[in-house]
Amino acid sequence: MPAIEVQRQMLPMLGSPNQGARFYNPELPATEPFVPGHRTCAGCGPSIQYRMTSKAAGDNTILVGPTGCMYVANSSYLCTPYNVPWAHTQIGSSGSFTAGVAAAYEAMIRKGKWKGTFPNIICEAGDGSASDIGLASVSGALYRNHDCLIICYDNEQYANTGIQASSRTPYGGMTTFSPPGPKVPEAKTLFPKDLARMMAAGHPHCYVATASVGYPIDLMNKVRKALNHKGAAFMMIYTPCQKGFVYETPRSIDLGRLVVESGLYPIWEWDPEKREFDYSFRPASMRPVSEYLKLQGRFGHLHAEHIATLQKFANQQWKMMNVAIPEALIKAADAKNLVDMASAEAAAAVAQTV
Amino acid sequence: MATATAGKKKTVRINGCVASAQAAKYADVDVIAAYPIRPYTATMMALAQMVANGELDAEYIVADSEHSQLSIAHGAASCGARVFTGSSGVGVQFAFELYSPISGARMPVQMMIADRTLDPPGDFGSEHTEALSTRDMGWLMGWSCDAQEAFDNHLMAYRIGEDPRVLLPQMVCQDGFFVSHITTDCELPDPGQVKEFLPPYKHPYPLDPRHPVSHGPQIMPEQGPPLQLERARAMEGAMPVIEEIHDQFARIFGRRYDPWLEEYMTDDAEVVFFLQGAHGVTARHAIRHMRARGAKVGMVRLRTYRPYPTEQVAASLSKFKVVGVIETNMGLGSVSSGGSLYAEAVAALYEVPKRPLVFSFMAGMGGEAIVMKEFYWMTNKMIEAQKRGKIEKRAHWVGFEE
Repeated sequence: MPAIEVQRQMLPMLGSPNQGARFYNPELPATEPFVPGHRTCAGCGPSIQYRMTSKAAGDNTILVGPTGCMYVANSSYLCTPYNVPWAHTQIGSSGSFTAGVAAAYEAMIRKGKWKGTFPNIICEAGDGSASDIGLASVSGALYRNHDCLIICYDNEQYANTGIQASSRTPYGGMTTFSPPGPKVPEAKTLFPKDLARMMAAGHPHCYVATASVGYPIDLMNKVRKALNHKGAAFMMIYTPCQKGFVYETPRSIDLGRLVVESGLYPIWEWDPEKREFDYSFRPASMRPVSEYLKLQGRFGHLHAEHIATLQKFANQQWKMMNVAIPEALIKAADAKNLVDMASAEAAAAVAQTV
Repeated sequence: MATATAGKKKTVRINGCVASAQAAKYADVDVIAAYPIRPYTATMMALAQMVANGELDAEYIVADSEHSQLSIAHGAASCGARVFTGSSGVGVQFAFELYSPISGARMPVQMMIADRTLDPPGDFGSEHTEALSTRDMGWLMGWSCDAQEAFDNHLMAYRIGEDPRVLLPQMVCQDGFFVSHITTDCELPDPGQVKEFLPPYKHPYPLDPRHPVSHGPQIMPEQGPPLQLERARAMEGAMPVIEEIHDQFARIFGRRYDPWLEEYMTDDAEVVFFLQGAHGVTARHAIRHMRARGAKVGMVRLRTYRPYPTEQVAASLSKFKVVGVIETNMGLGSVSSGGSLYAEAVAALYEVPKRPLVFSFMAGMGGEAIVMKEFYWMTNKMIEAQKRGKIEKRAHWVGFEE
């Protein structure tokens, strides 16, 4: 029997891609593949991301959910929030299970066993899955170029297990596996793994992008670009966790912007055709890292020297993006010009309740 | 490859690995997940060539690990594709996490295993420990003793596992080297026979955007018991289906296997070997020799290990005075301090009023051939026990004792 040609979807870009389009956008699709009623926390960054991503993808979509918050808190038996097919997989199977789904549809459509347009196949992996235990499986799926999108919803920790450090947890971030103490005053001593850049550098034929819940239209358009790209795509999306970051729940989207404005979360795209990074995304303003840190209990223990270390790190990121660094931010990288976080005591109390 | 053709059937001279690959081709699998480890690798090499030649239309995925192989298989089967994967030795164990999720999801994934001794140290020889260690994960499991039986078992396993009354994954095992790399005649069927025997795979609830379903959500503890009970019932309920499918297979292909046990020269036997896999071939030969010398010895070869044929094992083994279990697996610190086949054989016999004496032979360890001399020695041990009326010890390490 002759092979049947696989038809693929092409999703249009949403208008108003400017980063200021923060609220209502009339072009947003009405479909809600991810419906309310799940058990995620108030202000949950990953679930806000989940809604945006699945809305951008539409109904001809299959979702893969490795173990993580978006599995544990979303998928209660007999009452899951997914209006499209969804399957749990093991935390280390993010890329491989997704590859199996993509391969099945390639073969079944080609062999006439399933009739229809190739579905969008999206894996929603937490940063523990994508950057630690499932790293090889994600890399394998990208390397083999299955037609799928693997998203790392990056809440910078293992959250549903009770806030433990992952290789995406920032320097200075307090978790239950990286608590501050007299011997380790800064808490987390290591800098985060540059996961998205690894994926772009190691799999240059893939579409790779970073995004943040602070910029929904940008996020959704990148999801569509990633899905339209024939082959594998990877996105790392900043998704704050109020439980682990310890902040006021209405501020999730604010944090999603402040993390970019402070230079701690560079937003970029890797173009697989041109084989180059696109650093043209610019936040509305640039701010010292302390403005981002001070909203979160997980940084409440930091001393001036630690904040300066983080500012140096942020300045390096700006430099990488070819952005001229204002004098104020250079000064902010010197501990002499900084003060300790004042909320250390309050933060410790919150941490003990985690 | 020597080929003799009779109609569209043909007899070819192939080894166990190639027989498995041929079975996957005849089953028209959609997705193949490969990763190299000896000795099963040759199966995936053969499949890669079939795909490259255009003889088989399948997605051939070179996975990044065995864990990924089984995850790929899980994902693809969840969409309704027929999937083939495989491994050996430590590779089987690297994928261990996936065995329970796949059977719990009721995905009839098929995995070929060519047994290999676990580390340490690196040893290519066949021991069944790696597959046996997964025995309680909800996979149908059985051993073949030659290439033809391997080919046939693969087709039957797909048919059984994909039956809507069963929906369970299958491990189709063969000894590394003794089956996987020994070339024998193997009859390949007419594709029409396979079409009649094995209908296309149709999972009742695939991941299909037109009929959204959620697979594997989190449960509360009180939702656990009914789900576990269902999986246990699926395993038990597979037993009549296994018998039915073996009958169908015999009708269509003309080769009849007892689904549970092969009995060899047991009619008047007083002492028997109880084993599974390739050593059964040597055992048949040794038994013929020993019978010529007057020993009333026979063999019971276990063909299906999961679901365990408790009734059949009890009915069979209780006919004899002594049962010597040839383990070919490690059950370190187990009930017999030998292998793990002993425990279940003894448990199956527990309710029988007249039980035989049972003990283990630790033979063929590390993938050593079990030679004739050793079969004679083991037979003598069984005859001595019969005379004595009691066992000397629960496990004998063959080659290390007088």
